[in-house]
Amino acid sequence: MISSLALERPGRWRAGGIGLLLGLIAAPDVLLLWRALGDGAAGAVGWSFVQAIGRSACIAGIAGLVGLMCGLPLGVGTALYRFRGRALLLALVTLPLLVPSFLWGIGWSSLAAALGVPFLLSGLPACVLVFAAGLVVPLVLLTAYAATAALTGSQIDAARLAGGEREVVWQASRNASAPALLAAALGGVLTLVDPGPGQIFGEQTAASEILTSFAALYDFGLAGRQCAVLAGLVLVGAVPLALLATARFANDLLAKQTRRAVPVTHERLAVLMVGALAMLTTAATILPTLGLLLPMVAGGPELLTWTARDPFQMNHPELVLFGAAAEVGRTAANSFLYAGGAALVAMLLGIGAAVCVGRFPRLRAAWLAATLALFCVPPALPALGIVALATSSPAWADALLRSRLTVCVALGLRLVPVSSVIALRAWASTSPSWAMAAALHGVPLHRYAARVLVPVLRPAVGVGLLLVALLASADIATVLLVHPPGESSLPLAIVTVMANAPEMLVSALCLVYIAGAAAMLGGLWVLSGAAEA
Amino acid sequence: MKHADLELRGVSKHYNARLALDDISLRVEPGDHTAMVGSSGCGKSTLLRMVAGLEAPSSGQVLLGGEVASDTQRIILPPHRRGIAMVFQDLALWPNLSVLENVLLGLGGTECSKAQRALRAIDALALCGIPDLADRKPGTLSGGQQQRVALARSLAVRPAFLFLDEPFAGLDPVIKAKLLREIMALAGEHAFTIVLVTHDPFEANELCTMGVLLDGGRATERGKLVDLVRESSSEILSSFRQRLGGWAGALT
Repeated sequence: MISSLALERPGRWRAGGIGLLLGLIAAPDVLLLWRALGDGAAGAVGWSFVQAIGRSACIAGIAGLVGLMCGLPLGVGTALYRFRGRALLLALVTLPLLVPSFLWGIGWSSLAAALGVPFLLSGLPACVLVFAAGLVVPLVLLTAYAATAALTGSQIDAARLAGGEREVVWQASRNASAPALLAAALGGVLTLVDPGPGQIFGEQTAASEILTSFAALYDFGLAGRQCAVLAGLVLVGAVPLALLATARFANDLLAKQTRRAVPVTHERLAVLMVGALAMLTTAATILPTLGLLLPMVAGGPELLTWTARDPFQMNHPELVLFGAAAEVGRTAANSFLYAGGAALVAMLLGIGAAVCVGRFPRLRAAWLAATLALFCVPPALPALGIVALATSSPAWADALLRSRLTVCVALGLRLVPVSSVIALRAWASTSPSWAMAAALHGVPLHRYAARVLVPVLRPAVGVGLLLVALLASADIATVLLVHPPGESSLPLAIVTVMANAPEMLVSALCLVYIAGAAAMLGGLWVLSGAAEA
Repeated sequence: MKHADLELRGVSKHYNARLALDDISLRVEPGDHTAMVGSSGCGKSTLLRMVAGLEAPSSGQVLLGGEVASDTQRIILPPHRRGIAMVFQDLALWPNLSVLENVLLGLGGTECSKAQRALRAIDALALCGIPDLADRKPGTLSGGQQQRVALARSLAVRPAFLFLDEPFAGLDPVIKAKLLREIMALAGEHAFTIVLVTHDPFEANELCTMGVLLDGGRATERGKLVDLVRESSSEILSSFRQRLGGWAGALT
């Protein structure tokens, strides 16, 4: 009989397990780096790529700064004060994180074209707008929110007694500033590896250069070298950040039995918060969605005169809508398969990591630092690593390396850092004495797991599955590089058709995706409420 | 393992460089009620976990009924074969299971039929005065009710030893006194050995006749609790003396 105490005892298997999992996650990256470094043309990445890195760094810096300045006060205020529509506004702020950034880019681009000011929204400023409003500000806001919500009721009361609301806001902001700064830095790093807005607004960023090298120029070697250079630059910044962040983050993951702070009502601040959040939501979600709706509305009058027209003309709105429905139907199965498969792979590995890490602070910090650093490398790096492995493998390995399963595994490995944070948090919320009591009463490990652990962890695992599925479906670079021919997902189909298809078709596909993400976010909200309970 | 004695021979425990227990040797006779007292972090809970077989000693031996149960770096007799039940500081109730399921799962290691286990669980709940809470989840119960559930789960296995690791912390004095009286009555009825870890002189006085003082991981004083409190110059036992007030009359 294996004792349930095995879950709580130290052992060499823990470090071994963590090493194995990290090896698995990093293997595709290492493979591509190895190839790129061994390439005879190592270092030759092209002058345009060097310039693109400069532009990407500029976008990352500005977006990070804007994110910190807007996200920190909004996150602190939302956690401290209760106001009407707080939950809805928070959900709307979260939505852009779960949708591929290029969809918002298409929305803004479409809106600017409809307003007749396309020159206002192009190039670097447009990239900054989409990244700041859709990625960095929400990321910093949610981090500051979480840091403030982790304060105890007594801490808030003490600050309020010492100096009123001004003191509460000041102390809460001080407490949240370090995690918010790190979130802004992480957001900045993530903008470096996202090709979406650069592609839409015609700004050659480093990530879009890599995609161009692979998908347009078909130069695998160049793409690999560019990936390696970008990954190296990102890691130089990300590793110290990861080490700095994890010391604090590792402690914050632990469940604490303290009196929670309850948000209070404050009329003036409530008005200010609602206004600021509404502005952010407008910039991040509503305006680009409006931009996507405009081509549909413009097609409305034409719909009324449909019968008088040639039904086989592809610019007919109703035919375009049918086309969109057909495209959604064609890609729905793959979209769900990739998202679900990735979620399953990521969550299984995340739970495995949580079991190996256990309650050992050093292991927890090491795991978080390593996975955070890996999360910052361009998604194209592991994807190209898998492509490299597939090209050098025998045909019988195609089922593993050139199939839909490959996409699931590649996306899952990419998102293990997210799933493992959820799994570690859930694991930390269990008590070590549960396993001790089980051991003392002779309850074997399998029965303890089935009767206690699995039911207790189920809500958190559900939230993790849904969140990873959403993030996986928003990852374009990985799917674009490793999907088998003819097996694209919905976001990939949008990328593929957006250059040639009617604007209305692209808009319709984008809106379907956003509606699906919003529905899943709603499900996540309900599930996370259950997990919290 | 009814009415067995327990003995520690030169037991030490290290956590990396930190020494939690240092060469402890002591003996608890069958039926004794012993209070382990000492300041926070002196190794009281570690000692209980070691005897229960939840941790292996870094060096030394733990003997139960004269048999070696744990040896240096080795647990020989698994926890559930030691006849020990324990009420943990945080009670360790499984939150997703009902009160009855908590007690039933706790009987999982016994060699009883399903029907016998159900009977024992219901008996234990009745013994602890909570038969009407059988279908409730621990999270919906008061602190005192949760203590009774933890106690019922421990008593259901009919242990030879009952270990209590500061389980009454945070309870109001009236409920605490009532629970202590009930445990005393049960101990008299079932004749199990009690080891209580506590900072509270009233708990120790109510439940125990013997005492062991732990200081910096060492068992510095041991003997009858009355004598220890009367004669010890240690800070914690002096505070016991002061808090109990008119000592000779208060300590029974």
